[in-house]
Amino acid sequence: MTAASVPLVVESATEPRYRLLRDSGLVAGRYLRVLRMNPGRLIYPLVQPIVLLVLFTSVFGNLAVSGHQGSGAYREFLIPGIIIQNAVLTAPIAGLALLRDAGSGLADRFRSLPMSRPAVLIGRLAYDAILFAIQAVLLIVTAFGLGFSVRTGPAGVVAIALIAVVFGASVSVASAWLALTIGDIETAERVMYFPAIALNFVSSAFAPVPYLAAWMQPIARVNPVTAAADLVRSLAEGGAAARPAVMLGCWVLALAAVPGTLAVRRWQSAP
Amino acid sequence: MTPSAAAVEAVDVAKNFGAVTALGGVNLTVPAGTLTALLGPNGAGKTTLVRIIATLCKADRGRVSVFGFDVADAPAQVRARIGLTGQYVGLDDALTGRDNLVLIGRLAGLAHRRARSRAAELAELLGVADALGRPVRTYSGGMRRRLDLAASLMTNPPLIVLDEPTTGLDPASRQQLWEALAGLRAGGTTMLLTTQYLEEADRFADTVHVLGHGMIIASGTPSQLKGLVAGRVVEIRLDRPDDADAAVSVLATKAAIVARAEPGSGRLTMPTDDGADTLLSAAAALRASGIVIADLGLRQPSLDEAFLALTRPAAPAADPAVSAAGAADATAAGARP
Repeated sequence: MTAASVPLVVESATEPRYRLLRDSGLVAGRYLRVLRMNPGRLIYPLVQPIVLLVLFTSVFGNLAVSGHQGSGAYREFLIPGIIIQNAVLTAPIAGLALLRDAGSGLADRFRSLPMSRPAVLIGRLAYDAILFAIQAVLLIVTAFGLGFSVRTGPAGVVAIALIAVVFGASVSVASAWLALTIGDIETAERVMYFPAIALNFVSSAFAPVPYLAAWMQPIARVNPVTAAADLVRSLAEGGAAARPAVMLGCWVLALAAVPGTLAVRRWQSAP
Repeated sequence: MTPSAAAVEAVDVAKNFGAVTALGGVNLTVPAGTLTALLGPNGAGKTTLVRIIATLCKADRGRVSVFGFDVADAPAQVRARIGLTGQYVGLDDALTGRDNLVLIGRLAGLAHRRARSRAAELAELLGVADALGRPVRTYSGGMRRRLDLAASLMTNPPLIVLDEPTTGLDPASRQQLWEALAGLRAGGTTMLLTTQYLEEADRFADTVHVLGHGMIIASGTPSQLKGLVAGRVVEIRLDRPDDADAAVSVLATKAAIVARAEPGSGRLTMPTDDGADTLLSAAAALRASGIVIADLGLRQPSLDEAFLALTRPAAPAADPAVSAAGAADATAAGARP
């Protein structure tokens, strides 16, 4: 064996901060490589949102919503809601993937390596951000075909896509923590979509908050889905964006900090 | 690092999972440059001990250091010095062998170019070079294990920890893996491995620690451990294997000898200190009861028997009333090879 041919302590004297970026990139690269070998995995997460957008808009798009200031057509209100609710529905994919990995021999391998601890989560989120970005572009292009318009111009369009990516990634953090806390893949597969659906319905994604049942309204007002959907609407219609923007920013930071830290800890200590 | 420090030094390590005691205060020293085996049945605590050493789980009590670095205080230093081959293969099935090795090597700190050349080198050494471009899911069990070992060796760590590396492999694959490990050992790598196979421990380990119910119940070289059981073993082969149960109870009641029946083969073994006397009285008792003996003799105990003697809860007494129950126990123990 070539025991003496390699220095005992490896070329691993890289700085920890650089290490986090490098290792996250390597983890994201792993998922991209798997995707390249199994491109079929992309079909469902990319086709489903488009189909839902077309169905929702075709069925409900011509209803009039009297309470909503704007063009008055429900279509204009609904499309931003669909873009945002899709991010919430896609987020469990990240949690389930991490949970599937957590119990594998590969996870033990990662845990035994001198790699950055949060890189496993951050690398996965970086990969999911790419998925969210492709979804957002497809959704926005399809939405234009369905009569959606953005009054704030190309900058507004880019901002809407970015909101979908950042919001989707932060909900993915929560899904990572939830999945790793549930711990059992079969249970998680059934359980994870329930809070996602609840979060979407108890928000302004499908209807303005004053239209919701009275008990829903206080929850809907603080729901991050409401903040994200309202922010996209403000950008599309050229309205005031400050309030939903601040609220969404707070949610994104809170989700990254609290469930993010807990998820990394869960990953590290998984049985 | 301090080169004089032991590769692994564990002092009074305890770990509970709820009400189950996995480790009840284990002391273990693995001197640098040796191959140490942890031998024990399922549930003895081998994997838990290995996982604590590899920083995958934390001990409730006690201290563990690897080359002088404490696993709890300096896990990163420990991880930089350990290559772990876990009980479950630590590879991504969807990736090729090469991609797996490069990914793991780079996460362990190697530069890309170095990781690639090291992957090729190790694949050659472990006989998986031809399969390096194929997804791991197309590999046989033996190839997976060897690629997994290659992954643990990417940074050439001074300590390799292997948790049941040959479990589930066919004899040929097991042999190939053992040749690879023998090569590493010749190169001076310290190895700590767990195994259920006595043969493995017997053939390869410098030191064997027998683990049972979360405690180290015996330690020594394989030959020292064999010496721990009674000096000789009387072995009797019955003409009709079906007589085995009857023979065990005859020996217990008529001759006060505790015999162990090997299921199905009609082979009875009984450890003894007096050798020929036990042999003669056992033969006489069986003959008096009309049980036909095909063959009988005295021999050295195997590590197998040492292991069973050590992990069996308590030696049955010679009192006839008790030894009947004891004989039943011994038979049950024999049924679990």
